[in-house]
Amino acid sequence: MVVWPSAQEDRTIDGTTAAHDATGTMPPRAIGRAHVAVRLRDADAAGQSPSVLSDLHQSGSMRVLFPRPAAPPTAMLLNTAGGITGGDRFDISLEVGKGAHLTVTTQAAERAYAAMPGPAGRLSTAISVAEGGAVRWLPQETILFDNSDLNRRLDVELDGDNSSALIVEPLVFGRHAHGEILTDARLRDRIRINRNGRAIFADGIDLAGNVTEQLRHPARGGGAGAMATVVLAHPSAEAQLTPLRLLGDEILGSGAQIRVGTSLLAPDLLVLRCLADDSFNLRRVLLPVLDHLTNGALPICWRL
Amino acid sequence: MTPGTDPALVLAQWFSPGFPIGAFAYSHGLEWLIESGDLATAQDLQDWIEVLLRDGTGKNDAIFVASAYDAETEDQMQMLDDLCRAYCSGLGRRVETVEQGGAFARTLRDMGAAEVPDMCYPVAVGRAARLAGLPLGLTIRFYLHAFAANLISAAVRRVPLGQVEGQRVLAALAPVIEGLSRAVPDLDLPDLGTTSFAAEIAGMAHETLYSKTFRT
Repeated sequence: MVVWPSAQEDRTIDGTTAAHDATGTMPPRAIGRAHVAVRLRDADAAGQSPSVLSDLHQSGSMRVLFPRPAAPPTAMLLNTAGGITGGDRFDISLEVGKGAHLTVTTQAAERAYAAMPGPAGRLSTAISVAEGGAVRWLPQETILFDNSDLNRRLDVELDGDNSSALIVEPLVFGRHAHGEILTDARLRDRIRINRNGRAIFADGIDLAGNVTEQLRHPARGGGAGAMATVVLAHPSAEAQLTPLRLLGDEILGSGAQIRVGTSLLAPDLLVLRCLADDSFNLRRVLLPVLDHLTNGALPICWRL
Repeated sequence: MTPGTDPALVLAQWFSPGFPIGAFAYSHGLEWLIESGDLATAQDLQDWIEVLLRDGTGKNDAIFVASAYDAETEDQMQMLDDLCRAYCSGLGRRVETVEQGGAFARTLRDMGAAEVPDMCYPVAVGRAARLAGLPLGLTIRFYLHAFAANLISAAVRRVPLGQVEGQRVLAALAPVIEGLSRAVPDLDLPDLGTTSFAAEIAGMAHETLYSKTFRT
């Protein structure tokens, strides 16, 4: 079992107040917030109107980096607490203006560490995209450690019929290369995508207890140690069904321990779900799929 | 419905294989599993359906039945119908719930039994049960039982599994159905969630089968 950091260690950074309960037994909590907004700049002499940062807030253990002046802007989230444990609270909000584009990733894999009994660690991400805008939410893996307790949600609000979102949420159920298994862990994960205020995609994952054992079941994971969901909500998502299925077939043909399903739920909604024995094989699917869906603009951290 | 009719008789009719919702056409991804050689025995089938009931479509659909039963306004019904579609993991699931729900509602309307609009299957069932004054717990038990029975029937048609074996599996799943129907009243929309990931992928993969007996 991995226990990191020690429950006694004060992990709050930058003056964030550590929260203790009345008995003083509650471990310190990490709290972090980030808000990123982009909008289209007025057209320059050449008629170009690039997406530019219009608002940025960050506090506590959440930092936003812009690794290089990229067009469209690419924000890289960094959890300076090094992970999420019980009682931690992270809130991310992203706002994409009319016609603007934003790509968001994480600098490293997120880690859900062992939690003391008590409230779950919470990570909430809210994304709003105005008409014609596009967001790419491409965090790296979230790795669950034994005894972790994570409550996570992702809400995407798309305005108008021409806004779009590309979403990926990769999960790793213990680092198999390190011999880690999840004998007792909790994950409550919710994804909701609305268009014009109406739900178009929703997904919920509820894992609790001996996750590794549960995922051995053929209907659950067939022994998988990693999983990812990719969602493309885009007016022309339909055109990507055949290319993604071909990519999937290529990888399956390689004999890797991977299951992948791709489905077009509506002409503007494509979903891919993948189970793999470990995060390495999961990336063998995600890299070509995301590379394809971003036209080769997958953030560089994904390639390291 | 004729006032005073025994609710069990009404539900037995709604959820009998003869009620024309076309359930026989859907295998919920089972056909793909059978084609792949991953489902061969009665125990495989029972384990698979148990996960679908506890942590998959069964649990989520039961929550939708209960939520639709409790819904008070047209807006709430519309929200539930949207959400039920949104929770479908693939096109196959969406076809199953939309087509069966539409056929169920049309049949009730044409019978003059209940004025239920075309909605996803569990939402239409919850609404119809409320309009007909049927008890929710019993409705959920019949719904889940029909779900399991339909999958077993699909499997018996495709694998060398005897009719009696199939019925044994259904009987063995009764406690799961009972337990779930008792738990569902304490669950709500925020509890919609699954762990039947591989079954969801099987449903998606079924779309790519060249030759199929079932639509899903």
